[in-house]
Amino acid sequence: MSTTVMWSLRRGDDGYPFELEDLPDPPEVLYGFGDPGLLGGGLAVIGSRRATPYGLACARRFAGWAAANGIPVVSGAAIGCDLESHRTALAVDGPTVAVMPCGADIDYPRRASGTLAEIRSRGVVVSEAPWGSEPKRWSFVRRNRLIAALSLGILVVEAGLPSGTFTTADHALAIGRDVFAVPGSILAPECRGANRLIRQGALPITDVSELAQALGQEARAEIPPHCSDRLLSALIASPMRPDDVAREFDLDIVQTIRTLGVLESQRLVTRYPDGRYGTLPR
Amino acid sequence: MTESHGQATVETTTLVGTEPVPVEVQVDVAPGLPGFSIVGLGDTAVLEARERVRSAVRSTGFRFPNARVVVNLAPGPLRKHGTGFDLPIALGLLAATAQIPSELWSGRRAVGELSLDGAVRPVPGMLAHALGARRDHLPLLGPLDSAHLAGGLPGLQYRGISSLARILSEESLPAVSSSHGTRFAAPDLADVTGLNTARRALEIAAAGGLNLLFTGPPGSGKTMLARRLGPILPPLEGEERIETALVHSVAGLHEGPALRGQRPFRAPHHSASLAGLVGGGSPPRPGEVSLAHNGVLFLDELPEFAPSALQSLRQPMEDGWITLVRAEGRIRFPARFTLVAAANPCPCGYLGDPVKVCRCTESTVLRYQGRIGGPLMDRIDMAVSVERIDPSALVRGADGESSDRVRERVSDARAHARHAARPLAATLSGGELIAACRFDSQTRQTLTEVGRQHHLSGRAITRLMRVARTIADIEGSSQVGTVHVMEALGFRREDLR
Repeated sequence: MSTTVMWSLRRGDDGYPFELEDLPDPPEVLYGFGDPGLLGGGLAVIGSRRATPYGLACARRFAGWAAANGIPVVSGAAIGCDLESHRTALAVDGPTVAVMPCGADIDYPRRASGTLAEIRSRGVVVSEAPWGSEPKRWSFVRRNRLIAALSLGILVVEAGLPSGTFTTADHALAIGRDVFAVPGSILAPECRGANRLIRQGALPITDVSELAQALGQEARAEIPPHCSDRLLSALIASPMRPDDVAREFDLDIVQTIRTLGVLESQRLVTRYPDGRYGTLPR
Repeated sequence: MTESHGQATVETTTLVGTEPVPVEVQVDVAPGLPGFSIVGLGDTAVLEARERVRSAVRSTGFRFPNARVVVNLAPGPLRKHGTGFDLPIALGLLAATAQIPSELWSGRRAVGELSLDGAVRPVPGMLAHALGARRDHLPLLGPLDSAHLAGGLPGLQYRGISSLARILSEESLPAVSSSHGTRFAAPDLADVTGLNTARRALEIAAAGGLNLLFTGPPGSGKTMLARRLGPILPPLEGEERIETALVHSVAGLHEGPALRGQRPFRAPHHSASLAGLVGGGSPPRPGEVSLAHNGVLFLDELPEFAPSALQSLRQPMEDGWITLVRAEGRIRFPARFTLVAAANPCPCGYLGDPVKVCRCTESTVLRYQGRIGGPLMDRIDMAVSVERIDPSALVRGADGESSDRVRERVSDARAHARHAARPLAATLSGGELIAACRFDSQTRQTLTEVGRQHHLSGRAITRLMRVARTIADIEGSSQVGTVHVMEALGFRREDLR
């Protein structure tokens, strides 16, 4: 069991994570809850606030693997991919680190308060902002450099354009951390940011074994699910609305809606909040 | 020589809501200082009848008595309003002074407003007055302009006069029969290109009387689609025509379209006041929900409506009535309508748009969507997300099925439900709904699994079954099968977290 006592560490104190010294401007004081020993050497799993089921599934998959293998999952506790990563790590009883843009004792965002309380007792919630500070516009970008420094590499699971994950990636590159990104459909606007990172040199990560290899760990390669159904393959490639599916496959609209309903109840596809149907990776 | 003093009583009606209540207009012309007073809780419009009646009587060649004239409107405690008392007061005055024979006024009702030159004009609610006369088996004397009502109300004896001057002339103009089967100029579904999911949703909503929500970015055609629901509904039938026309008549709108069977389409703006939406004022007038009775109420930009206004929709959506409680009593207006609502997915409107970037934060999106109250959302059976239409598809022109074709299928589906002695799916719930679906064991199992998979609440499953029941009706199937449930799943409304 870890502790829920609050602590603060000065630069130079015992337990102050040496990884932060890689930064040109390491924080003079760190404030936090939980076991400071978890700080450093983690995997940052970050992504959009408005995540699609695809982004959330990717966050679950990779954060779950890291946490299960004892690699602390570092993220920013934001709604969407960040929170999903923390929750997955907690669910597999693995280590996780939430780096806050506000005081470590502030529940921000408010909806994350339950998860934050869990992390304070079972992981680490850390911040360079003094106790009780409210988040500022600039503190998010400053916070991102800590996420980068406390990780071996950062994994962007989903990012649109523009995206806050870019500043984290910039910080990571500046201090010699790896940048990984999960590629998405070239047609989906929610994936443009992650795809751009790959174009700029981030390592594309398509399954757990690749991530393990990149982090110097061992893992068995996964066999991607084979898909014989044309419609399903199309939806895996890119989410579509029923109208588009009907046009694309020259189907009657009633038939299309029913087929999508069947695929959905077989948990092969899911309806996105904007009405498109896409894949539901496990 | 005519007598200059006497008494006479003429019958008329005043409206309480849409209800015509009989009122006796008692006129006493007695010796004394010349004067003209009206007693019996009349509003300003009633009291002003004195000037209109005096001028109308004089200018149509009758004599206004140089005596003390007292008009009593009985029963005394009932508040009376409007200008419909002009004609009965004038008749009573002429009768009391023996200027017209008794067969002209005794044993019949009179309603109408008078101009200063004696012309008889219609008043709001003429249809209600006419229904009252028919109910009480009395002939009605009223404005010639309202003579068309007699055609739509078999059993009503109506005599229309254009002016007080014609009261003595024997000619009785033939009632103009209302024209049946008139074509209405209405927006056609044939103009809708693409958007086939939305078209299908409209068809299902029409067949089951189900409430429908369109979400999508600005310019995706939500309003255009909503306007096309009315024309695919089967025309109003017998009693429905009268009910709907009655509300329109009382509100002072033209009752003609409803009497010809056209379903109302009401689209109040989101700035509409509570009274404008559900009814109110003094005397209470029907609001938009009642004007949409037996038709379509379209609320565009649903989250922009005042929360109190949306809350007030609850009662009519549950009961089909709106009850206004006022100091003078309770007044009920009918309000059974199909709701079509449209909402942007977020304040800026571009959440999920394939091209434009949404600039809203998660919390503003949630707050925006949360503005639509739970009770109202519970009554919305189906949701469809629509995408901005590709301009090229729009320019390509109309290729969709016409509203007439769709309406045939809708009518067939409704007939199928009627044949099975079932009401519209919209009104089914609980055990009645489950019995109506006649699930086989496999379908029941599918439904259970679907409910578990999507974490559907009991209400959400009820909505799903209503939609599935309607889809089966469209296919003429007495049993709801798995395919129908699968299709209904595509129209489920995501519960807000």
